[in-house]
Amino acid sequence: MAERSPGPSGTSGHRPKHALSTGRHVRATGLFLVLMVVVAGFVYPFVVTEIAQVIDAPAANGSLLHYPNGTVAGSSLVAQNTDAPYLFWSRPSLSDYNLTLGAQTAPGPSDPNLTALLNETIAYMDQYGIGTVNATVPFWWAAPSASSIDPDLVPQAVLVQVPRVAAANNLSIGVVTALVNKHIVNPPFPDIGVPYVNVLSLDLDLIAMTGR
Amino acid sequence: MFAVGSLWDIVFLVALVIAVAPFFGAYLGRVYMDRPAFGDAILAPIEHAVYRLLGTSPRQSMRAREYLLAVILVNGGVFAFLYGFFFFQGLLPYNATHAPGMSWDLAFHSASSFTTNTDFTHFTNESQLSLGSLMIAWPLALFVSAATGLSVLVAMVRGFVRRDGTLGNYYVDLVRTMTRVLLPLAFLFAILLVLFGVPETFRNLVVAHPITGGTQHLVFGPVASYTSISLLGTNGGGFYSANAASPLANPSAASNLFETFVMMLIPFSTPFAFGQIIRRRNESWPYMGTILIVFAIAVGLFIAYQAATNPALLGIANLGAQSNGYPVGQETRFGLPEASLFQVVSVYSNVGANNMQISALSPMAQLVLLFGMFTQSTPGGEGTGFATLLLFAVLGIFVGGLMVGRTPEYLGKKITTGQVRWAALALLVHPALILVPFVVAVAGGFVSTAGSIPVSAHTFTAVLYEFTSEAANNGSALSTAQFVDSSTFFNVTGGIVMLIGRFLPIWAMLQVGGKFSEQEVLPPGPGTLRTATVTFTIYMTLFLIIVSVLLFLPVIALGPLAQILGGA
Repeated sequence: MAERSPGPSGTSGHRPKHALSTGRHVRATGLFLVLMVVVAGFVYPFVVTEIAQVIDAPAANGSLLHYPNGTVAGSSLVAQNTDAPYLFWSRPSLSDYNLTLGAQTAPGPSDPNLTALLNETIAYMDQYGIGTVNATVPFWWAAPSASSIDPDLVPQAVLVQVPRVAAANNLSIGVVTALVNKHIVNPPFPDIGVPYVNVLSLDLDLIAMTGR
Repeated sequence: MFAVGSLWDIVFLVALVIAVAPFFGAYLGRVYMDRPAFGDAILAPIEHAVYRLLGTSPRQSMRAREYLLAVILVNGGVFAFLYGFFFFQGLLPYNATHAPGMSWDLAFHSASSFTTNTDFTHFTNESQLSLGSLMIAWPLALFVSAATGLSVLVAMVRGFVRRDGTLGNYYVDLVRTMTRVLLPLAFLFAILLVLFGVPETFRNLVVAHPITGGTQHLVFGPVASYTSISLLGTNGGGFYSANAASPLANPSAASNLFETFVMMLIPFSTPFAFGQIIRRRNESWPYMGTILIVFAIAVGLFIAYQAATNPALLGIANLGAQSNGYPVGQETRFGLPEASLFQVVSVYSNVGANNMQISALSPMAQLVLLFGMFTQSTPGGEGTGFATLLLFAVLGIFVGGLMVGRTPEYLGKKITTGQVRWAALALLVHPALILVPFVVAVAGGFVSTAGSIPVSAHTFTAVLYEFTSEAANNGSALSTAQFVDSSTFFNVTGGIVMLIGRFLPIWAMLQVGGKFSEQEVLPPGPGTLRTATVTFTIYMTLFLIIVSVLLFLPVIALGPLAQILGGA
């Protein structure tokens, strides 16, 4: 330690120095802020981005999913509207899967709008015979998510869609079930999070299989 | 209900933080002491070059008044830069999404919000904020506000060990916080977030072509570097308006646990930084005990109420069983205990990020979150949270001393009317900042409700939550479709509440530290209250809880309690 730099702390020897004049304070503040804008606003994100693009480019670029011809289909981290009988559906979105609208507010627990929303969703799903297959619509499927773009679904909610998807694609239930099982992501360690299925990557594999 | 076995990971995470905190806290304390410290060989020359550039040096130790002047100047500069940037962002570069400039009141609210470490937003990031605002303007506040909080805390703590009336040099504290704490950790955590799947790119807008036709606009950016400092600095702003609920900012259960750790690291370590600076490490534990008791009760209650069935939905035909937690306003991938731990940590550390929708929570869970913002100090935000706990301690020791006839002194420094007056002011301004604007908003008809719906208990809670979050510089929001908070009234009052709620307590913390610093150290006598004890820990915990409950019970009764009892 340099003996001539009694620093910011210590128990003794702090003779109060002359206070900086206000002008010197303004100058120090201005210079500090310019330095900080350069460091925090440019150097920091640019350096992290350069490294990120080297160590994990697919993640750094938004986990994009592509069609076989290379066109961007979407991101595995953003749900899409897959509302067609031959596709698996995500959770309902209050923003209609429009990321630029931001997250939309879900109704509170005792809000009558919540009951109405759930009834509407369930009625829609019932048209496609979900009720006859499983007797109930899984709660985690019918409920609006926090982000409005939750791309994942609990396996149970994907499996109840198998009969509809299999019929619409002229595939056997066994083949579609096997495809779903392949897409179930289990936690890396027991009980960290829950098993789930990424709906968009499942649907992309499905259309690759059926050639639609 | 969930199996108890699934709690192991959150118990493990909290245990990990408690194990790391004494060591990281000791490091943190040494950053602010004039001792040889890890990293000197590389960092000391850089720091000294910056001091010379700024025209200051560690030898120029400031008194409370000068320290405060420097804090006001630097933070005022941040505020002005942000206000200008947001107001003119439509004309500035990095704006692929064509976000227009903000109105004067929205720019005022946003600049106040980010400068004060609150990061409460009254806008939708994806459409109302340019990439330049997200990458250049906002992160300036993310770094400086966090560094300011830590600097003010150590300045106050130095008052206990100095006798010359000075508290240190604010610029030196800021620079050392940047070089030795925030920049290296934010950098490391940002890289790790990328490995967890968070985007980090300058391609702002990608057009995707969904299977069913049409297009989908995907908004990206340097999300990992932004999220890293936002959580580490207990800011809590989100790159996306869904904040940490967005899969792009928090892609998996693993990233969720990691982000929880990032939020906990500094707030749970500061008690030990305090012990290091005053050179009495055993004085850290009473505070750590107080924090852990309140925090553990909060987590337990929150999980229990989130696991409970919502009786309002039992009548819905064809709806599956309510199992594995309550899914409305929740994300699939996290799991109930993990999501809950994140949310409680976020609010209790005054980060204010959210990985779920607070408006969709049960009223009891909302009340748990509100309580964390009432105390502001279990563990509270970067630096200021623990400084608030020290103010509680000053008051508590004074009151306790009066009750048992002991000399009111702490760490060999006498607690005089001067300190008590400032501590009481800082703690009383908090309820005043919540209750006064709250009453004005509700009674003055400024709460615009959708249609002609009267102000319900739920809306009442939303307005209460809004001002509580702003006064505590928290930033989490209980937004509901029935309560529009982006009006001129809420922008202006909210901005003022945040500024006073930040800088008046900072003034008080510096004054208390300054007054201690002017005093000689007394040798411990027979009348000295011993503070490194279990008794003091229990006393502090009860003092904190009772004072907070007494201050806020009336207003709790009108909002969350009315919801719980009346089912409205």
